[in-house]
Amino acid sequence: MMRLLAVATLALCAAMPAHAAEGKRIEIKGELIDTWCYFSGVMGGPESVVGTAHHTCAMWCAAGGIPVGLLAEDGEVYMVLKLAGDDESNGGDTFLTMNNDTIVAEGMHYARDGINYLVVSEVIANEGIPNHTHEDFGVTPGNTIPDSVVDKVLEDG
Amino acid sequence: MRPAVAALVVALVASPVGAESPLPFDIGGPFTLVDQGGEERTEAALVGTPSLLFFGYAQCQSICTVALPRMAETVDLLDEAGLKVRPVLVTIDPARDTPASLKDAAPGIHPRLLALTGSEAALSAARRAYRVEREKIGEDIQGPIFSHGSFVYLLDDAGQFLTLLPPILGSERMAEIALKYLKKS
Repeated sequence: MMRLLAVATLALCAAMPAHAAEGKRIEIKGELIDTWCYFSGVMGGPESVVGTAHHTCAMWCAAGGIPVGLLAEDGEVYMVLKLAGDDESNGGDTFLTMNNDTIVAEGMHYARDGINYLVVSEVIANEGIPNHTHEDFGVTPGNTIPDSVVDKVLEDG
Repeated sequence: MRPAVAALVVALVASPVGAESPLPFDIGGPFTLVDQGGEERTEAALVGTPSLLFFGYAQCQSICTVALPRMAETVDLLDEAGLKVRPVLVTIDPARDTPASLKDAAPGIHPRLLALTGSEAALSAARRAYRVEREKIGEDIQGPIFSHGSFVYLLDDAGQFLTLLPPILGSERMAEIALKYLKKS
């Protein structure tokens, strides 16, 4: 993982023209979220589309190209342009494995058009998914887990 | 939309504008692709009119079903504001998005849509130029499913990158941001 991080950071630096290096280096803690379901409200209120309750849907959304955001502890959302380990700036499958994880990230913050963007150069810590929202909301939406899987889990106790 | 969610959207998009940070990478570059009429098109096709550029595919059942209609609505809103902007789709799925199939699909997205396809190599070069990642993540009965970058790019009438628009923004907000840049340029 660390080797991938280093490679990604080097790739980013190589692509960075000297005149365009503005932005602010920040260290930030937050949950990687599915921005479509979070902001659109189509799957319920924001509290139900974070954490374990929404993890399966969030992975499907990231797989389908929905931008991933970092929901900071103060409630600000940062659109993640690039996460260490991905090759390009627009999209990336590293998100698939980390959606809903709470991470501490170091990276560059760019503010454009009233929107926060984040280029993560290093994931300093990853707590996994400590936000156990399924205890309050079950799975949102429920159909993201196939009935056959639910039946098997119930059978296995 | 619930009030709480609406408030969050406002929080995301309505903070003060101005003093935009330049992004730490260049976006754009040369490409040679083919449009829905079978004509070869290069980056010169993006000169003369501002563009909204999106990489996706016509069979996509995920973000493209949000981003493409919003891009089209944004173009219509800009028309109403007196600014002619061209919507452009670059496919990430050339096996299914042939010139012929794009010719059928394009009018349903927007009457002025320029839909571009090409060889895997030519499309890969275009994705590299615009820093868009594509990853095949599986197959369903209709064919491959791709994970891909989904930000919409606003380009000026010289084909130069102005800003990016998250596809989760509403078309009104996309148009508002585009107007800010295009009125300046």
